[in-house]
Amino acid sequence: MNPAATGEHQHDHSYDSAFLLELYERMVSIREFEDGVKFLFLEGTMPGTIHQCQGQEATAVGVCAALRESDFITSTFRGHGHALAKGLTVQELLDELFGATTGCCRGKGGSMHVGNMARGMVPGIAIVGGGIPVAAGMGLAFKMQRSGQIAACFFGDGAVSEGAFHEGVNMAAIWNLPVLFVCENNLYGASTHVSLVMRDTNIARRATCYGIRGQQVDGNDVLAVCEAARQAAAECRAGNGPVLLELLTYRRTGHSRRDACHYQPADEREAWAARDPILRFAEVLKTRGVADDAQLEAIRTRIVEQFNEAVTAARLAPQPTLDDLTTDVFVDNGEGR
Amino acid sequence: MRFEMKMPDLATTESEIRIVQWRIEPGEQVARGQALVEVETDKATMDVESAVGGVLRETRCDPGTSVSVGDVIAVLEVEAAVAGTASEKTPRQELSTKAPAAAAVEASPPAARAPGGMFARNRAATDGRAAPDDACRLSVAQRTSARRLQQSKQTIPHFYLQTSADASGIVTRRAAAAPAPPAWDAFFVLALARAIGRFPRFACRWEGEQLVPASTDAIGVAVDHEGDLFVLPVEAAASKTVDQISDEIRQGLNLLGGGDSDVRRIRPALMTVTNLGVCDVESFIPIINPPETAILGVGKVLPAAVVRDGQMVVEHRCRLTLSVDHRVASGRAAGEFLGRIVRELEALGGEAA
Repeated sequence: MNPAATGEHQHDHSYDSAFLLELYERMVSIREFEDGVKFLFLEGTMPGTIHQCQGQEATAVGVCAALRESDFITSTFRGHGHALAKGLTVQELLDELFGATTGCCRGKGGSMHVGNMARGMVPGIAIVGGGIPVAAGMGLAFKMQRSGQIAACFFGDGAVSEGAFHEGVNMAAIWNLPVLFVCENNLYGASTHVSLVMRDTNIARRATCYGIRGQQVDGNDVLAVCEAARQAAAECRAGNGPVLLELLTYRRTGHSRRDACHYQPADEREAWAARDPILRFAEVLKTRGVADDAQLEAIRTRIVEQFNEAVTAARLAPQPTLDDLTTDVFVDNGEGR
Repeated sequence: MRFEMKMPDLATTESEIRIVQWRIEPGEQVARGQALVEVETDKATMDVESAVGGVLRETRCDPGTSVSVGDVIAVLEVEAAVAGTASEKTPRQELSTKAPAAAAVEASPPAARAPGGMFARNRAATDGRAAPDDACRLSVAQRTSARRLQQSKQTIPHFYLQTSADASGIVTRRAAAAPAPPAWDAFFVLALARAIGRFPRFACRWEGEQLVPASTDAIGVAVDHEGDLFVLPVEAAASKTVDQISDEIRQGLNLLGGGDSDVRRIRPALMTVTNLGVCDVESFIPIINPPETAILGVGKVLPAAVVRDGQMVVEHRCRLTLSVDHRVASGRAAGEFLGRIVRELEALGGEAA
């Protein structure tokens, strides 16, 4: 897919500076988190593997910026970015990665299942496409409760070939459920290029089969993503039914830390590196006079310091004991367990 | 400040990770995030990036050897303040132009961890705390060997043929060459090499349901050095004399004893000879060294009573066991091959030195 094909989005100029800086901070926070966690993994002090999202910051931040706090998102095994964008703290995420009881899932979920229901994020479902029927179900609940909430469902290009995608999207379509289906198309399902698993690689076009609206968006342009998500969210809340957004982006790291990523050709990597979402948005901020290089660098430095402090705290955070083995398994029915 | 770089968790299964080549030499500066060593996992070949910036002081494993996740692979010298200056070398993709201030990395995790936590096994291995007192730590070489042999026994359909050879000619020949007779193993190596020359099927190996010619003609000599198993390869053995092969084996043993790291590298052989005569073992059934097709096990040369022309005579005999991969050869083919080995061995007894 030619990254130049979608062209530059014409941004709405009515955003205030605070909001724009918030978008930038969120993206940098995700990037520094992922890079920092990568080294924790290399040092061997943090257990387990990780699936990272460097390069895809604008999709998570853009969509979540268009949602309300009471809206819910479902996520995947590549959920660190979604979590930080939705409002989970760096500390609760790091604690979770270190397996501590103060983690967002009390140390029982780990990297692939981060989430926090209190912040509107269902813990990540690592089964490819697994979150799609869940999001449809949540949409049904919201509609029946008339709560005005919507569910945004993140999934990748790989999930589109799963039966669950068809079932979930179709159900949301026929029952007009308030679900925002967000496909983060980063061109590869693990190591398999999209062109090898579908003849028509335009995923947004599939929306027409379900009678819903589909839109392809430059996933590395955070404002374009935000605007598309806002419009789609408004349509969902108005009862028009679900919307399918296809965000075109690129993963600048391996599928997991065990992936050498040799399948990404060098020229493709470089082309997408030139479209890095953070670098591009920094240019937008400078052009609009919202911030200069020094201010942006100061933001980054502050975020890095906060991350490092959080790492220190996470290393000392309490670990689960044998007693924790049987908690969080059943819903408390009032009789103790 | 010393920092011990451990092999990160790159393998998808419990398998070992093989060192391919070091990207940095001891003494060189390396930046945080810069490729330190190329490794091969069960999935792919990839680079391991350095977790810290500093100077590489020591590498702890050689190319060709395998390590486990958590093993210390290198020691680096880190200056707490130097982290920022390493920035020029970080790769273009990294937006972090400065390494974070807290690069003063702790060499071991803090003590405040509940005992029996989920990763107690990893932590015990990585922070120097002793494993249970009665456990015996195995070296990397021993663990590698254990895994390969288990895999061999579980995946190769072994079958075994046993026979004995008349070793009296060789005994005489060695006595004549005293006080510096050629090593016993040299005779077995040469006999095996000559036999393979007549049985090209045994110069093949099973690969993906096909027989593929082996890439080497070396005959391996199994050596136990201080509890670690090594195979010394003798290349082009069929074209050498017994004395030449004997010198080569002895030289290899000296290098092993001297701690030479080059001789310890795993190098492939076509087929291996393993000799337990020194332990007074009369015969034994060896396990094939993957990806080889067969292995020849040799017992102690002993005087034995045999019947010749109706008469009972005493002569030195040597019991041989050939373990064979049944996917490559059947009983008949293997029997004829073993018979050839015996004839070559007995012929060596009759040759002049």
